[in-house]
Amino acid sequence: MDSFELICPAGNPAALRAAVDAGADAVYLGFRDETNARNFPGLNFSREDLAGAVAYAHARGVQVFVAINTYPQAGNLGPWERAADDAARLKADAVILADVGLLAYAARRHPDLRLHLSVQASAANVEAIRLYRDAFGVRRVVLPRVLTVPEIARLNAEIDIETEVFVFGGMCPMAEGRCSLSSYATGLSPNRQGVCSPASHVRYEPRGAALASTLGGFTINLFGEGEQAGYPTLCKGRFLSGDRPAYLFEEPTSLNALELLPELKAAKVRALKIEGRQRGKAYIAAVVAAYRKALDAFAKGQALPMLNLDAVVEGGAQTTGAFKRAWR
Amino acid sequence: MRDPGIALDEAAPDTRARAVEVRLTQMGLGLARRFGDGVGGRLADRVLRVLSDRHPRAFTALRDMPEAHLLIDPVDAPAAVLLRVGPRLALRVCDRDGPAHVAVDAAVRGPCARLLDLLEGRIDGDALFFRRELVIEGDTALILALRNTLDGEDMDLFADMATAAGPLRHALPLARRHAGRMLDLLGIARRAAPPPLRWGMVALERRLGGKPQGS
Amino acid sequence: MMPLLTLGPVLFNWPADRWRDFYFRMADEAPLDTVILGEIVCHKRAPFFADAMEAVVARLTAAGKEVWFASPILAGNDRERAAMRDVVTNGLLPVEANDMGALALLAGQPHAVGPFINTYNEATLAWLAGRGAMSVSLPAELPASSVAVLAKAGAALGLAVEVQVFGRAPLAISARCYHARAHGLHKDGCQFVCGNDPDGMPVKTLDGQSFLTVNGTQTLSHGYLCLAGEMERLAAMGVSRFRLSPQAVDMVAVAAAFRAVLAGQRDGRDVAAELGRLVEAPLENGFFHNLAGAAYAAEA
Repeated sequence: MDSFELICPAGNPAALRAAVDAGADAVYLGFRDETNARNFPGLNFSREDLAGAVAYAHARGVQVFVAINTYPQAGNLGPWERAADDAARLKADAVILADVGLLAYAARRHPDLRLHLSVQASAANVEAIRLYRDAFGVRRVVLPRVLTVPEIARLNAEIDIETEVFVFGGMCPMAEGRCSLSSYATGLSPNRQGVCSPASHVRYEPRGAALASTLGGFTINLFGEGEQAGYPTLCKGRFLSGDRPAYLFEEPTSLNALELLPELKAAKVRALKIEGRQRGKAYIAAVVAAYRKALDAFAKGQALPMLNLDAVVEGGAQTTGAFKRAWR
Repeated sequence: MRDPGIALDEAAPDTRARAVEVRLTQMGLGLARRFGDGVGGRLADRVLRVLSDRHPRAFTALRDMPEAHLLIDPVDAPAAVLLRVGPRLALRVCDRDGPAHVAVDAAVRGPCARLLDLLEGRIDGDALFFRRELVIEGDTALILALRNTLDGEDMDLFADMATAAGPLRHALPLARRHAGRMLDLLGIARRAAPPPLRWGMVALERRLGGKPQGS
Repeated sequence: MMPLLTLGPVLFNWPADRWRDFYFRMADEAPLDTVILGEIVCHKRAPFFADAMEAVVARLTAAGKEVWFASPILAGNDRERAAMRDVVTNGLLPVEANDMGALALLAGQPHAVGPFINTYNEATLAWLAGRGAMSVSLPAELPASSVAVLAKAGAALGLAVEVQVFGRAPLAISARCYHARAHGLHKDGCQFVCGNDPDGMPVKTLDGQSFLTVNGTQTLSHGYLCLAGEMERLAAMGVSRFRLSPQAVDMVAVAAAFRAVLAGQRDGRDVAAELGRLVEAPLENGFFHNLAGAAYAAEA
């Protein structure tokens, strides 16, 4: 069987070059607007940037996937449809979509364009995945981060399209594309605006020696003197349920499923994905290079190299997340 | 959606070279402050023009932003800078409380070395917020936008300035190449120098600070 | 189209007796058109009230209510998939699909689409209509501008568009159980601690500000979504179904109040004020007004 495909993030052309140079098999990216789920200020690609990115990547045998994975706004489908049109025109190798209306449009207008189902569609079962395949010709599904490895293995035994899973980076504890926590606190959501816990609604407030991080006026965390501070992503905050402050939903940890490569291979996963289009090019270069090295060793049947990625995750805290049942 | 992390040390330039750059930046800010708005302003304009010419993608993006004022305050330097993004993009050296007549939308304060990392996109976008050594006030999105925009460039302030025409062209690569020695020399010289030599060092500082000569 | 009042499924883990008595009372006293049954949050809870299901369906049907069966929100593992399949193939009641998997299994049959399927725009609505959707309940986070477009498109497509007008807004679903986690337990050995909180477990910020509600694997708003004051506007847009989500309050009174608004007998704003006194949590309508969901815009 073929080796894993390594799918890497890029938030700008410099990050794309870093990912390509570090050994990505494919790079995924988005346009500079609300059509993708990392619509952060100063991030992402213009049409011109995409053309350059495709040229750079294709010259080096690397694919480019364009994420158009938010849900088009009622009465204003244009930006999303144009994004699909332009991705096709500029020779992207695939588009990553979530909305069924947009999938229907892309399948109809661009029958030769390869369609991937975004994690934002949260297709977690055989029946749903077959529906996306049959209705739109979806060729690959990015699995939501709610499944254990044995569940993924059983799923792959019953479907005949490729699966891609997240192996490294930030991790939503909630089913993706089905979460309105951000819009509850700020009015801006991943599904509609492509943002989660947006910086526009973040404030840091000194409280004596402590530092509070707030989102939309709600206190998301409070850091004592000397404690490393965190960005107030809502589901990674400390809250009170009862009297004790606790990371109720998820600790500020980072997913790293490197140790699970043999199991993911046995589960017939096709592609491994690194999260972090919002991360800097230095981060992307380091993580992609580390995973490239590990995948090459794994493909040759060698022992997995010890990867020092602790430096890139907060406090060195890493988890295998939902891949293991104990996470639940 | 996004997850915390810290900056990658391996991405930082040689620490000795960075120490020189920090020293130079501190000097430059001090000098620009002393020169006042006229000469200091021309110096800031020059820095912005050089960077803008070398990184058109980023600077077009900064000009496309709605107008906003961002105070960048190196707490270990004698002055701060105010960056105005938007169509009237501008850079000015100012007091660390910001200019009296301008409403500052956001401020980022921290050691000079960290702020150079920020300028050159060496700090990861998320990591920016986790280091307690950087203090962020006001509009977080504005700071994130600047950070993300700069990360899209392979920006190297000193190399960029050095390759641009001007007095820094020769001084800076030399300073970098001999980073360690340079740093030691500056330190020793400063402590030990007799008055006439100190006067000479001011001239050197002037040269390194890039004071326009006859322009 | 005559506006209809729908009661969504009970989301919380109520004891079987309470669950049964609640529905008996709804059958006998609440002026509802449609009642949707089913455990959609956690399949582990379903066996508790399975025995009471038949009697509840019979009582509701006898009272003239249309009864639907809702599929689970999340169907990842085999047991959840089996639960989803059981709902879809129940052979007795119409089904409301809450996951694309359930929608797939409903191919060729008329069905309802629940609020946990992402219907954000008219292209999606048209695709759903083409697959046999008779009604579509919109996600809680949609603003008025989207609701207006979708209600109009729904009318053209011949399907009913529904909006939740009362009850805590569902915000997220997870494979992880936060009720168990908060009690230091694992989901597999959860001791059904969610049963301690019939209206959900309060989550406060570190400042003690009420913020969210945890219901097992589900996260809801702290405040109660209430669009009583917006009913007239919703009806004018062409919204034809209005959903009440059951909470541990007097739901007969709630249903009666909304029915009176639909019938033009009471002013929605008065009803909102009355509900504000009835429930302990604040009322919220921010999503509809394109604000933070937690906000309440007094200007309806």
